[in-house]
Amino acid sequence: MMLQYFENLESGINNAIKENPESASARKRYTIEIARLGKRLYSDTDRKAWAGALVPFDLLNTMGVTSCYAEFMASVLVSTDIGMELLENAEQTGYASDTCGYHRAIIGAAHKCLMPIPEFLISTTSPCTGGQAVLENLARLFKRDLFVIHIPQDESDQSVNFLADQIEDMVEFVANHTGSPLDKNKQCKAIENTNKAREVMSDVYNLAKQVPSPANGRDLSNFGIVMPLFFGTEAAVEIAQFYRDEFKSRINANNSGVPGESLRLMWLQNRIQFKNTLVKMLESEYKAAIVIDELNDITWDPIDPNDPYVGLARRSISSPLHGTAKRRIKHIIELAEAYRIDGAINPCHWGCRQGTGARGLIDSSMKEIGVPVLNLEVDCVDRRNFAEGQLITRIEAFMEMIESHPSPWKK
Amino acid sequence: MEDKSKLIGFTCAYTPLALIDAAGFVPYRILPMGDWPDQAGQILHENLCPHIKRILDRAMQDDIPDLSGIVFMNSCDAMRRLSDAWQKVRPNDNTVLIDLPISKDDRSVSFFADELNRFAERLSQWGGDDIRPEGVENSIGRYNELAIHLNELKKRVNLGTLKDGSTRLQAIYNKAVTEPIENVLELIKQIAGEPDVIADNALPIYIFGNVLPDPEVFTLFESCGARIVGEDLCTGSRMINVIEIENNDKSLDGFKGLARATLSRPACARTIDPSNPGKMIHDVVEKAKASNARGVIGHIIKFCDPYLARLPSVREALKKEGLSFLLLEGDCTMRSIGQHKTRIEAFIEMLR
Repeated sequence: MMLQYFENLESGINNAIKENPESASARKRYTIEIARLGKRLYSDTDRKAWAGALVPFDLLNTMGVTSCYAEFMASVLVSTDIGMELLENAEQTGYASDTCGYHRAIIGAAHKCLMPIPEFLISTTSPCTGGQAVLENLARLFKRDLFVIHIPQDESDQSVNFLADQIEDMVEFVANHTGSPLDKNKQCKAIENTNKAREVMSDVYNLAKQVPSPANGRDLSNFGIVMPLFFGTEAAVEIAQFYRDEFKSRINANNSGVPGESLRLMWLQNRIQFKNTLVKMLESEYKAAIVIDELNDITWDPIDPNDPYVGLARRSISSPLHGTAKRRIKHIIELAEAYRIDGAINPCHWGCRQGTGARGLIDSSMKEIGVPVLNLEVDCVDRRNFAEGQLITRIEAFMEMIESHPSPWKK
Repeated sequence: MEDKSKLIGFTCAYTPLALIDAAGFVPYRILPMGDWPDQAGQILHENLCPHIKRILDRAMQDDIPDLSGIVFMNSCDAMRRLSDAWQKVRPNDNTVLIDLPISKDDRSVSFFADELNRFAERLSQWGGDDIRPEGVENSIGRYNELAIHLNELKKRVNLGTLKDGSTRLQAIYNKAVTEPIENVLELIKQIAGEPDVIADNALPIYIFGNVLPDPEVFTLFESCGARIVGEDLCTGSRMINVIEIENNDKSLDGFKGLARATLSRPACARTIDPSNPGKMIHDVVEKAKASNARGVIGHIIKFCDPYLARLPSVREALKKEGLSFLLLEGDCTMRSIGQHKTRIEAFIEMLR
């Protein structure tokens, strides 16, 4: 069923582009690549692995292992017709409804045999304890080997080296399962691709900073968190280049992502993964553009293609998903300033202790720099309790407040 | 250090108490007790572990004794958020967040040993004695002595021959992590001299989970007809247990032995053995069977992901072994457990 879904997704977009070549947007190219990844995950041919979100996918791609993190697949599953059924299934098997919806969806899918059985699993302690537990559960359910990576909390040399060593061990673990060691030439090429993608993504983000921004509220949703799945491949570079070209062309043509942009917003943590009208409403009624998602940023330096482990370790530790709230808040404030935002929306994904747990701390720190934050109470994958009307009312009140609120960047 | 009564706050059962002791401090566990207004949710989020929120509520109400410093273990998302929030609520406190590896392989042990070294340096900066290997060894010995005495008491609780049974034992556990070790040893030695009481016909129950520090909760269990014959709680036997330094580690400098022993202690659900996924589930079943319990109670505080994620499998595994299971979710207050009284009574009744 899911294989069919991804095949339809790819062919549908390709047909649309064929019929109207001018509709070939960067977002469509990006979605096609996601569909291809989905197809590979559900194929009978590829070696597969389930992993934590901060695993270096560059190396897995290089070693011929098709992999993704469980939350990514959850976000796809809940957008299908059976999404809510999966959540219910997990709850019926005893999974508490106040745990993370992403994780419930995955467990429900696994019990319904809708998750491809991997050759092995690699979990990471970050971003969250819940995700770690889910991968352990999947390893037990699928009776597959589990490799665990502890991502240390800070960027001290001791922590970086500890993680670099674990990544090296991971490569050995993968090689033992695939029977093929990591080819050093392929490794170099892959890291070069990663560095190229990094550079172009950085250009994309810099373009999105422009006032008005060439980005609208949908262009880069989930971009920063999904792109790592393609790291190491040429596809990652191509996707980033499509975005760069599209944004440049919009800027040259004086077309902003949201025509008549009057307010600029930041979206914190993750997007609402099922269909809803909130972003459209923000754009059409308030000319408000979501110009930056918290996770859309380059937080790491280029990686040495010949000796990548330390660089890969630094990249994982630098993720905005990881570490103390203090570090996260510093990053959010830097983004707020760089993108000159008027306000931020925090969906406060119900069940996320890691992200939502810092809600109050983020709120008060943003107030100090004069940027209001709207905290919603949403399960980003479970639409059963999605009270859209109430949320719209709250957003309307927030937007009216922002409109009358002096911009912190025009002092 | 001149004042030996100085306290170091801690909040997680993985905290290396012997290290604090070796620096001449007294470990003080900030237990989630007291009836304070719910305010922590405003700083964090309501959907966060009540253990953390109750501790933060205590801090916000200034219900914390003078501490020379406080150590947070990076054991789970909630604990990390507590460390974040503490700095906001009590910005002048000395704090340190110690990274706690998820497993106990050699690399993790070495990394954790470095973390313990960092903690030792911090203790010294906070006015503690310089920590020397023989000092750590001595402190481990003191805590092992305490653990052995506590185990003896536990045996009497299991047999039902200790007056006030598990209620009293929990009060002693609380004392053991908030007062100087000598006070506790003295009390335990007094109790050791007390004659056994005659065991009643209460039903043997095994209990596992996370945070359950209020002794009154155990009174409630006993009033429902249960006798706790085995327990695995982070505010109970998991807090203080015998630490064994492996022979290979004894010859090594630094904290490797303590690191390995700490990572090898009875595990909270957040710890993983990659070679045996779901080991925690297996452990619950085996310990319950070994205790000869007729039923198992799991007490989990709400929003605790490591436990919540494993509960469906625990339930299934216990069922396979023919062990009845009652799950209680609480928020660290007596009030929340009190609401379950009828369920506990019915559970005990059903098993008779």
